[in-house]
Parts: sequence; C-alpha cells; structure tokens
Amino acid sequence: MAVEKNLKAILGKLKYSDDAKVLAQISENTKQVHARMAGIKHKLVVMSGKGGVGKSMTTVNLALAFARQGAKVGLLDVDLNGPCVPRMLGLHGQSLTMGPGGAIPPVGPLGVKVASMDFFLEDASPVRWKGPMDVSPVWLGLMEMNVIREFLADVVWGELDYLLVDLPPGAAADKPPVIAGFIPDLAGAIVVTTPSEVASDVVQKSVTYARDMGIKVLGMVENMSEYRCPSCGEVNELFEGNTEALCEMLDLPLLGRIPFDRKLARTFDKGEPLLDETYPTIQRYQEIAGRIKTLLDYKKVLTDKL
Amino acid sequence: MKFVCLNCETYMNFEKVEKPGEDTLGVFFGCPSCNAKFSMVTNPGETQMVSSLGVKLGGRTVAAEPFEMTRGTLKDEATTGAAQMTAYLNEKVQGGQPAAAVTAVTTATPGEKSGSGCPFSAMVAEMGLTSGGRPGNDGAATTEFAWSADAKEKLDRLPSFVKPMVQSSVEAFARKQGYQTITLQVMDDSKSESSNGMTWTPEAQKRLENIPDFIRPMARKEVERAAKERGMATITAQVMDDVKDKFMKFM
Repeated sequence: MAVEKNLKAILGKLKYSDDAKVLAQISENTKQVHARMAGIKHKLVVMSGKGGVGKSMTTVNLALAFARQGAKVGLLDVDLNGPCVPRMLGLHGQSLTMGPGGAIPPVGPLGVKVASMDFFLEDASPVRWKGPMDVSPVWLGLMEMNVIREFLADVVWGELDYLLVDLPPGAAADKPPVIAGFIPDLAGAIVVTTPSEVASDVVQKSVTYARDMGIKVLGMVENMSEYRCPSCGEVNELFEGNTEALCEMLDLPLLGRIPFDRKLARTFDKGEPLLDETYPTIQRYQEIAGRIKTLLDYKKVLTDKL
Repeated sequence: MKFVCLNCETYMNFEKVEKPGEDTLGVFFGCPSCNAKFSMVTNPGETQMVSSLGVKLGGRTVAAEPFEMTRGTLKDEATTGAAQMTAYLNEKVQGGQPAAAVTAVTTATPGEKSGSGCPFSAMVAEMGLTSGGRPGNDGAATTEFAWSADAKEKLDRLPSFVKPMVQSSVEAFARKQGYQTITLQVMDDSKSESSNGMTWTPEAQKRLENIPDFIRPMARKEVERAAKERGMATITAQVMDDVKDKFMKFM
C-alpha cells in the first residue's frame, strides 16, 4: 500500500518556478502595452453607462475636433460587438495592415488614425469566437479582454497628441471601467449622457464606479440636448432631465451640450462625415474639445490665471 | 500549473507541448529525479482558456504576430473542433442538455415573472418611477420650511434622485442662516456658500473669477484644500499664491 504523502509539507520544501513561462508572458504583454502607447501624450476614454446616448458620435466628433486644431489623433473603437466608428468615418471595408512591427491603422478624415474590430469582420457579420462561448460567459469575458489587450498592444499609433477610446456601454462591474484600467497613464474619462432621467441615473453609476477604479472623470457631455425641426426650424427639448444638476451633484464640469442634429447624423451614417468647421453643431464639438484641452492643462491654467 | 512527483517529492519539469488533435493540447512533464514522464491532455474548454490568456505554454520561440489571438480565434465557419467542444460540454457540463435550453430553464425561476418584458420598463419600475418617467412620489422629503412657488418649481425640475440632496443642502443652509422661507435667492446663495465653510476675501474671489467657469469649482476646491492644510479659514491672496507656487513645481 502506498505511503500517504503530506502535500503541504512537500510544497513547503520546494521552490516554485514558472517553467511554463505563463506569468512571464502575461507580464511581457503588459509591458508591450506600455511600450506601444508611450508615444501618445493624452489618452482619453469616452464612456457612458447607458447605450444609445451617442457615445460613438461624440467620440468621433471630438477626434475630428482635436484634429482640426492641428493635433495628431488616434481613435480606438473597442466596442467589439457593435463597432461603428469605421463606418461613420468612411473606413468600413478597410483593414489594419499587419507587419512584423505591428498593425498599421488606416487613416480617416483629417488624418485621424482608426483601429476597430470592424476591420476584422465581413459585412453584417457579428463577432463570433471559436470556442464554448455560448456555454460559459466566463470564457467570453476572458477572450474579449484579451482581444482588447491586443488592440492596445499591437496597433502602431506612432506619436499622437490624443488617443480617444470609444468604450462599449456598461455601467458598473462591467467591462468599460476595467478596459480603462488597462490603459497606462490614462488622462481621464469623458462621460456622455442624454438629459433623460433614466440615462442620468445609469451614467451616475458609471461615474461612481469609474472613480472607484481610480479613473479621473474629466467631465460630462450632454448629447441630444434639443431637437431642431428641419422643416420649421423650431427648437424643442427632447427630454426633461437636468444634466447641469447631475454634474453639480457629481462635482463634474459640464463640457457642453450637443443638439440632436439629423443632418449631421446622416452624413456619418453614410460614411461621408460633414467636416465643415463653421457648421453650428461642429462648433459645439470644437468648444468641448477646447474645454477638454483646458482640463488636461488644468495645472498650467491655474498657474497662469490664478 | 505544476505537478509534483510524490515519489521523489519534487516538482516535475515542464518539457514540451504538442497538439494531438483539434482544440486539445498535450503538455508533457518529467520528474528530474526518477525520470518518470507523463502528459496532461486538455479538454476544449481548458485549451480555450490558455488561448484566451494570450500566452504560449513553455514560452514563445518566435515573437507574436499582431492580433495573433484575435485573428486565430475569430470563428470563420462552424468547425469540427467547435462542434466537438459543444458536444463535450453538453455532455459534461449540461448533463446532455443543449446549453441554450438549460440556460432558459435556469433563468425562469418558479413563481417569478420570466422578465420577458421590456428591460426599459423594468428599469423604470426599479427606479420607482411611473410609466411617464415621474417618481412614484414627488421625490421630495418632508420639510420644516416654506418654499416660494418659483423655488419649488426649480426644485421640482431636478431629476428625482438629485432632488432630496439639493433640498437637504438648501435647507441646511437656510437653517444655518435662520431663514424660514426658501426663495430662489436662498437657493442661489446656498450654492455659492463654500462647502468647507471658508470665507473668501474680495481680492481672492476676484482672482478666482479669472479661471474659466467650467473648471472654477475644481480650482475653488483646490484652493480651499490648501487653506485647510494650513489651518486657515479665510482664503486670501497669499493662499492663492501658495497654491500657484505648488502647481508651478509640477509643471
């Protein structure tokens, strides 16, 4: 009969070594993300707790606004399951160029570089992974996080002034704040909401969770503030909420309000974005980009103006 | 993962990885003392998990291709391996039941509604709102104060979850100041009162106004924090100079 062995006693005498080199590779992957993003001055995430508030539209227009100010801009669309940034910028059908040095992103309007899951998908195809994803969401979560890690580690952005990351919707113990936590030296998060009470409530949760994760929330953008009738020109409120009060309560600056603009939205839907900087809604985005720049230079503003 | 040779009481060495079939890995180990060998074979789920970590067991011999895992794991078509995996999991995990069917059973708890209705309505219900988006009650707490009609209207326009906080803050200010009626002016004054109970000299207040309005509240807090650290209750030009110096050091 075999002698009973005391595993605890045996392990106490042994020195562990990672000879399958798993931990070393995970650590190397993290280092690669840092190295790849070292040339980016300001990394910003755009998030919202609620879906459908116009987060991608805001991200794309802020990227274009920074580019109009002469900045070098990158846009990373990490909404893996609903990527729409390439279509909005007329880049649908293009792809990342793979090479030994990494993946070169296609360049969109005003020189904005774009990386998106859309570049891996056929027309109208959803993201489908090999494996037992339908059985266990745990595998799916692990897989998606690693895909996002590859987006951060493998895209050759080069030198950028701003990288804007369009996060998927989600409020609390969900992917968005965790993804933001992946990004080294993140400058902060821009939160998009609509003035509806329901959206505000969910957005409030996402801000609280982001702060718990140590993510600096820079401010809030109110989207769909009002609607201008294309026929009679009358402007009406779409919702009855109060984003200003929400900002006050969360101690956040309201970076600006964007009206629901059917004309502008249509150009992005068609992949032929309106770029005219004199267009009123685009001017609003320009103002918001200016405020974000001021926030990023907060310490300088204080020393200059206080 | 490590294996211990219980005869020799030592860790076995990782030796190599082979792929004996679709969606499975054979990982080989050997005991450095007695030279015993064995191979651990992963099932499809375990293989997937290793792949999802973005690592190669035993380390890489060549650098990773860009988007290696993404490209390698995106499903292009139903593969034999995936079908095998699903069959395996159905058998082992779901007791032979198709995964979707089991999920459907487990989500519908007996005695509860299935939740098949509109998720938006559920959220509205959870928030205690009516279908019109208004709170089930008016969201306001009972009050010892009289509110003027315009002040009440302004309060009522706030989102339901903000309203109690604003009401409580305004009433605390009114109580402190000895007011019995809350007017629009009282609401405005309560907003401008420092949350730290600090007093600002006119000169300091004027300098604060040089800061763009959307970041002024942040600047105000920064200055008040600096004053508090110095044990001061009044914000003077000197405190502001100190804050400015502090920031210049970080430039």
